Amino acid sequence: MDKTKGTIGTREFIAIIILTIGTKLADDTPSLFFSSMGSAAWMAPIIIGVTTILPVFFILKIFAIYPNKTFVEIIKEVFGKYVGFFVLFALWIFQIYALIIDSSIYTDIMGTMYFNDTPTIVIYAVLISVAAYGAKKGFEHISSYAWIIIAGVKVTALTVLVLIVLQGRPEFIFPLFGTGKWEIIKGSTSYISIFADLFYFAFIASYLKSTKVLKKGMWIGLAFITIEISTAIMSYVMLFDFNGIKLIDYPYHESIRTIQLGFIRNTESLFFPFWLIATFARFSFYFYISVLLFSTLFKISQKEFIIPILATLIVFFGMIPETPTFAIYTLRGEFLKLVTPVFLFLPFVIWVLAKLKGGSINDKKKAAE
Amino acid sequence: MSEQLSLDPISLKKETISGNLQSTMEIFNSFYSIPINSDVKVRNLLIGGLNKKASIIYISTITDSQVIENQVIKNLLLNSDDSKEVQDILSTKTIKNVEIIGDILKEINKGNVAILVDGHSIAYIIDASKFQGRSIEKAENEVSLKGPKEAFNEQAVANISLIRKKIKNESLIVEITPVSVRANNELYILYMKDLVNDELLQSVKERVNSLDVASIQNLSLLEQFIEDREKSIFPTILNTEKPDRAVAYLEDGFIILLMDNSPTSLVLPATFWSFFHLSEDNYLRILFANFIRSLRILALFITLFASATYISITNYHVEMIPTDLLLAISATREIVPFPSVIEILLMEIAFELIREAGLRVPSPIGPTIGIVGALILGQAAVQANIVSPLVVIIVALGGLSSFAIGDINMNFTIRLLRFLFIISGALFGFYGMAAVFTVILFYMLSIKTFGVPYLSPMTPKYVSSKDTVFRKLLQNQIFRPGYLKPKDMDKKAGE
Repeated sequence: MDKTKGTIGTREFIAIIILTIGTKLADDTPSLFFSSMGSAAWMAPIIIGVTTILPVFFILKIFAIYPNKTFVEIIKEVFGKYVGFFVLFALWIFQIYALIIDSSIYTDIMGTMYFNDTPTIVIYAVLISVAAYGAKKGFEHISSYAWIIIAGVKVTALTVLVLIVLQGRPEFIFPLFGTGKWEIIKGSTSYISIFADLFYFAFIASYLKSTKVLKKGMWIGLAFITIEISTAIMSYVMLFDFNGIKLIDYPYHESIRTIQLGFIRNTESLFFPFWLIATFARFSFYFYISVLLFSTLFKISQKEFIIPILATLIVFFGMIPETPTFAIYTLRGEFLKLVTPVFLFLPFVIWVLAKLKGGSINDKKKAAE
Repeated sequence: MSEQLSLDPISLKKETISGNLQSTMEIFNSFYSIPINSDVKVRNLLIGGLNKKASIIYISTITDSQVIENQVIKNLLLNSDDSKEVQDILSTKTIKNVEIIGDILKEINKGNVAILVDGHSIAYIIDASKFQGRSIEKAENEVSLKGPKEAFNEQAVANISLIRKKIKNESLIVEITPVSVRANNELYILYMKDLVNDELLQSVKERVNSLDVASIQNLSLLEQFIEDREKSIFPTILNTEKPDRAVAYLEDGFIILLMDNSPTSLVLPATFWSFFHLSEDNYLRILFANFIRSLRILALFITLFASATYISITNYHVEMIPTDLLLAISATREIVPFPSVIEILLMEIAFELIREAGLRVPSPIGPTIGIVGALILGQAAVQANIVSPLVVIIVALGGLSSFAIGDINMNFTIRLLRFLFIISGALFGFYGMAAVFTVILFYMLSIKTFGVPYLSPMTPKYVSSKDTVFRKLLQNQIFRPGYLKPKDMDKKAGE
């Protein structure tokens, strides 16, 4: 009587997209744009969002050709056995690298902003253990979890936004084009890969109720996160001005330290738990995708056994940089630039190959029916 | 016959009775150890008219003597017509013919009367059972202000009658099935034939029939045998003592289990929301109902988080408190020798002790417990500088709130989880609490009871009347819960 298999609906899917990518507004992602674009940094998510329409469009096209296959099967089919393996392996490396770096940053946020005395490894271990537990439960439960918490997370985020706008100075967003139009284009297009998670959502398409859910979820999710991150960045500028913000690594956390809510002078502990539960959702999904890719790559049927091993490895690798605030920031920036072309062109390449190869097979099948 | 007696009792029970009354009675005498067994009675008589010897066997403590005297013995003795069959002589409402010895024994054990007639190789079974028990009383655990007050009692027949009173429809099925081997405990499975999902019904029946236990006295024991996760902290089967609530579930396509000796019914499969709801929620007008729902969810969060939040704030997030309050807290904490987590744990455990002892204490000494609890553990502890006054307030608030979760099982769940949050808050502040919260939520999402996800219809989504945290207008509750896959989704059509 397993009635939940493949029952992830649009709302759960949108929720996990928003929490996975939207949470980036509350880590060091905004800082990537401030240094090169100044007060115009809020334009970057919009440019990125508009550009991302292309890869998302091709991802959806691919699923139109192969509606009943998983993304792994599609990649293996269009690239062949060996190249397919290589592509999947590369994708897994990108994914696990992102997971290590991002979790390291989040641990650093907690360590520097909230728990100065707690050893880093303890914070890190708790974060990854919870993510591993979520990954073990599977994608259905991760997305359901996202749906349950999203209302709380977004209501508090909206409260923060309103408080920032009320207590900040709107005129700080000028000059509108910050460091110049060319700089904006250059600065934002290098980091298109901050939305690359959308590509990884293709791997769980087979868990969704239908491809319609995938389509709807991707578009609504993309629109939402674009507006959300852009608004958030704009609000940070209003609060700190473009010079001040360049000195700040984690603008969201500095913001909730700066704003006041009535008689509560220090609101950060009020908003911190909601940021945390969103963070857990994000890393559970990241972890899940890593496990999924790893187990399909090396044909491991019992995923439960690789989860503790991966978790331990992630903590150890993530602990290597000694000053994560700076080291990881640089590592992440360079990595994002590296992945950008992959994320931009891989869906297109797969689609072209699928059109050449799979399309004909599909037509034959249809003709046979 | 002596060879039949020499058989062992188990194989003898499978034999049929012979037409020889004397030898048959020897078998029954040996089974019931007559005359040592004092309440098993045998009445020998000669049927008038037919001129045949007959024996009547029954257990006097569980039978209705009126029925035996007026409808059985009187008719048999006073008959004068020699052409009548035994069935036609008796004026009882039911009569059943049974041949197998084991089955006859079962009927007698249930309080029925067996009539054995010389020359007849069947026994006539007359329905005459009358067990002693309570009458129908008010619900004690599920108090409601509006709506029906009557509650189930320990007699399944009375309970079924209460349910039939509310559903006057032929599609309400009452199935009976034995659940234990030795004590012959019977389970009543109630469902609406035209609503219940057959797969669900089948899996419930399979689980019940697969039990191999000597005795299951009542539903509280059965519940533990048939639930999905025996060791889980979350209950998955709902207990309710109110027939109106059971009927509401029946009409949504749920399955109800009833048993003798249980002043309650089991509702399955139960989701988290069924533990959260009360029947009162639907009886009150929508605004008031949702008001008490919001109070209940607030109480749930206070119970879970109040003490843990206090520990987290005082240990890790001090800057959050306004300075004046912080100074006030630290002034009261100054003279207390313990860290705040010890303080909280002391009071929490004291509260749990008062609660448990208060429940078990014989009622004449009851008020004493209140005095001891309130005065000594509260006020005196503060005066002795063992705990600070704020801690007493917080623990009392949390303890009080926990009573707003009416269901006994869920109440335990919440009370135990509270300690988990206290420990995690003491270790990692809000970070630990958020981590534990996440893990618990993941765990809850992974629970399935008879194939139904625990938090549905919130997530995963199913078509339903969306009765989760808040309820909708009764006019808008037009769907049965989709996670049960009922045969008829629409509450209006087909009725």
